[in-house]
Amino acid sequence: MKRLSRRTLLRGGGGLALSLPLLEAMLPSASAQAADTPRRILFEFKANGDQTARRFTATGETTFAFDEFLAPLEPYRNELLILNKLNRRYNTLGDKRSDGHQQGGASLAPWESGEGSYPIGGKEGVTIGYVLGPSADHEIGDRVLQANAGLKYRHLVYRVGQKNNDIWNMSSHAGPVGTQNPIQPETDPYAAYARIFTFGADDAAAKAAIEKRLLKKQSALDLVLEEAGSLQSKLGSADKARIQLHMDALRDIERTLSSGNGSVACQPFDLGTKLDPYNDDNHEAIGKLFQKISVLAFACDLTRSINFNWSGNTSNRVYRNLGFTDGHHDISHDSADEAFVKIRAIHKHLWTMSTALYESLKAVPEAGGTLWDNTLVVHWNELGQGDTHSENDAMVILAGGAGNYFKRGRYLDFLNKSTFADMLVTCFQYMGFTDVMKFGDDRLNDGAPLPGLTA
Amino acid sequence: MSSKILPIALLAALAAAVYGCQGDIEGSVPGGTTTDASGASPQTPEQVLASSMCKKPAPGAAPLRRLSNAEYRNTVQDLLADVAGVGPALDSASKDFVDEAESLGFRNNADFLGVSSLIAQGYMDSAEALSPLAAATPSLIGCTTQDAACAKQFVESFGKRAFRRPLAADEVTRYTAEYDKAAAKGYDFKTGIEWIVFSMLQSTQFLYRVELGAPKGSAYAPSPYETANRLSYLIWQSMPDQTLFDAADRGELTDKKQIETQARRMLKDPKASRLLEYFDQWLDIDHLATFDRDANVYADVPANLPDLLKAETHAYVNELLQSPSGSLSDLLTGQYSYLNAALAKHYGISGVSSTDFVRVDTPGRSGVLTQGMMLSRDKPTRTSIVRRGLKVRLDMLCEKVPAPPNNVQLNLEALGDGLTQRERLEKHRTNASCAGCHTLMDPIGVVFEGFDAVGRQRTVDEGGKPVDTSSTIAATRDVDGPVAGVVELGQSLANSQEVRDCYVMQSFRFFYGRDYTTADQCSMAQLMIAFRDGKQSLSELMVALTQTDQFLYRPAPEAP
Repeated sequence: MKRLSRRTLLRGGGGLALSLPLLEAMLPSASAQAADTPRRILFEFKANGDQTARRFTATGETTFAFDEFLAPLEPYRNELLILNKLNRRYNTLGDKRSDGHQQGGASLAPWESGEGSYPIGGKEGVTIGYVLGPSADHEIGDRVLQANAGLKYRHLVYRVGQKNNDIWNMSSHAGPVGTQNPIQPETDPYAAYARIFTFGADDAAAKAAIEKRLLKKQSALDLVLEEAGSLQSKLGSADKARIQLHMDALRDIERTLSSGNGSVACQPFDLGTKLDPYNDDNHEAIGKLFQKISVLAFACDLTRSINFNWSGNTSNRVYRNLGFTDGHHDISHDSADEAFVKIRAIHKHLWTMSTALYESLKAVPEAGGTLWDNTLVVHWNELGQGDTHSENDAMVILAGGAGNYFKRGRYLDFLNKSTFADMLVTCFQYMGFTDVMKFGDDRLNDGAPLPGLTA
Repeated sequence: MSSKILPIALLAALAAAVYGCQGDIEGSVPGGTTTDASGASPQTPEQVLASSMCKKPAPGAAPLRRLSNAEYRNTVQDLLADVAGVGPALDSASKDFVDEAESLGFRNNADFLGVSSLIAQGYMDSAEALSPLAAATPSLIGCTTQDAACAKQFVESFGKRAFRRPLAADEVTRYTAEYDKAAAKGYDFKTGIEWIVFSMLQSTQFLYRVELGAPKGSAYAPSPYETANRLSYLIWQSMPDQTLFDAADRGELTDKKQIETQARRMLKDPKASRLLEYFDQWLDIDHLATFDRDANVYADVPANLPDLLKAETHAYVNELLQSPSGSLSDLLTGQYSYLNAALAKHYGISGVSSTDFVRVDTPGRSGVLTQGMMLSRDKPTRTSIVRRGLKVRLDMLCEKVPAPPNNVQLNLEALGDGLTQRERLEKHRTNASCAGCHTLMDPIGVVFEGFDAVGRQRTVDEGGKPVDTSSTIAATRDVDGPVAGVVELGQSLANSQEVRDCYVMQSFRFFYGRDYTTADQCSMAQLMIAFRDGKQSLSELMVALTQTDQFLYRPAPEAP
């Protein structure tokens, strides 16, 4: 079926004031999925590994019991699927893997690392680089976007607490395969909210002002795209690719230009008094704002894929709210019992905040249930245990109704065999992309989704 | 807090010892191992330059460079200098720009300046905020007829400055059409101008430094306008000024001497202080933005200490850049600094009462080594020997460190209560799997233990134990050997060819906007020789960066 772009409709409709409901009515149903309630996925990241021996006190498939730092999940146990001891298999990449934090922090993009960006690790005489391929949040979002012409955003990428971007703190990557292309996340929730939500006034003056802005933007985008296309023809292949990325980004913006946001659940909320997003002491408030923005983005159906990070990997946040004075990463490198007491406290705090996301999703009604019923939350970490930089014992917890795709309320031990990348294949499958049997480097895949997960 | 002064005789003896163990006075060009026709392997800069590969111009890659955030801000500032209130408007418009992905410590590597939708959105929002201001500035528009002819004239004059070269006829048509479109909708002249500026500020011609080059002899070279841009972005991190535009208009900037003359003129301009961006990134001064210290451990620290430390280093480096003889050695060894009353009080130095930063003797300190860079990666409650050592090894020696092994316990704190951090690390290094890397970092890091994590000199550590700053540096090309403290380490580093080569390498990476490759050997050899002959002058290296094959030429275009 030929895809009708939103842009074409705006023009073909003869006016820019077309309201969104009308627009939606004119859009073709682009996939089987669109006929049902849409499925969504949200990757949720916590840093620096945990204490693997203290995750559970019992590990029966249905009789499992959470230990101290996972205790906040107990009320939700029947809505979770726990995947323990997944192997990242980065040792198979030889010297094309970076430091455990770096490579592990790119676990959503299971590719070998490139060269030229950081002088720790890598092969002799060469510096290591970012991973050479896209991450699952980007690829899933891209596929969803291709199949749903009405969606605005491929994915949204959020990180709490750090503005700078380096090989230690970016989990989302655009690819394509063979290229280093890390995606800088949004780090300021106030700017992030303003960027994607437009709840405009309805009076004639406001409409005229919106129309004028829209005309200006569309005219400029047309010009810049046409000009970029003509520049491309004069450039070598590497520079051509740079301009292509830029043009793709402009087309992304083009898709988002019209105002209006779908469903009745799509309502503005008050972000409250503005806080410094980069002050460690504000991490809980900032994180919860990003959670609410994520939930609203789902409610407004702006995107189906979100990559949310409680921090960058290797985060050295000081959890003063827990009474600590040293940084998280520093604590995680300490094998003393006192240090693990702190690690458990940090993770308990983070997991408690994770459950706030569950409650936000459950609070939004949708098609006879709630958003929670059609959302998969994928909890992950860059390491297994922090003080040993272990990579063969990743814990991933799948949460949410997820369209009843999974048989929940269970604990599954993968015995350090199945891989983290296989888990990502499962995510593609859940999102309806059943043709995906492998994601990432061959050495990190078994060529199938994780066995025994589905209902 | 009192300062310690090392006996002069001891210093002299150590300096002699350091010189004595220097085995690499010439330096060697990285990757300079290509075997030439005679079977020799050129290594020294002179040998490389004499080899066949450097007989004709040998520029390395010249990737299309997007403006970094700093370059964008400088460029808009200069482009809209006539616009009232441009500074605050620009700050506000660009405050949410995402930080560039860092590569080898720098945020201006062309390979990591790709435009994602978030970045493109930032450019659009910024252009939307700035374009009405430009349209409301008569001196920028230049004509007063408020008609299509005036709009066209504006496209030509403003466009030449925005794109940093004259516009082709079809480009003038393209942008004048924006005015026409606005006019056709019934919008006023000002709106039409606004639409033009709005588009230009999002154009790839504005956001990238587009170079197409042209044949020059048997090689390819940038055009005069492209060379003007190379000069202005190298020294001012911004667009060319009128003098450079005039020179390009006359078809100049095609020979080394003209380029050198311009470079020397530009270094004297106040805009040359924008070179501090390089030092901020190289020395991690920019990391002071995330400075976080526990108030119970570090009481009485000024709330704006990061700003004070940044201003100190800026004043210190700026003075060296402005002096023709200001050298890498001065950068690393000066027993003086620039302090104001607040920072002097913090350091425990009396007699400074000004709010401005003034030159003050600081015995026991050693240039930038004991300024903010040294502590910007320390911990909230203590110094970090490992990170300080790592900083010197990675960024001043350009060495590499292997990744920590996986699945190995990093059992540092458990090594015993009552030990100093230094002692813990020493025990740690008795484990072979740890020693391999930590030998590279810790012996350098302990030398800085005479300074706490907020930059004050000290004689006891956080645990109340006396600090020991003596060490034996190992696994370097020419810095190995005993040092008593940071002043001696500064001298060793200043006398080290490895450090000099590294400084040239870091400058190459930042100012050419990419990593070094073996295809850059001729340019690197030219820089190393110029740096040596210029007695490691920082400003002379800036001039030398305009005299290499890499600067003067471009690679031939790809075959279609």
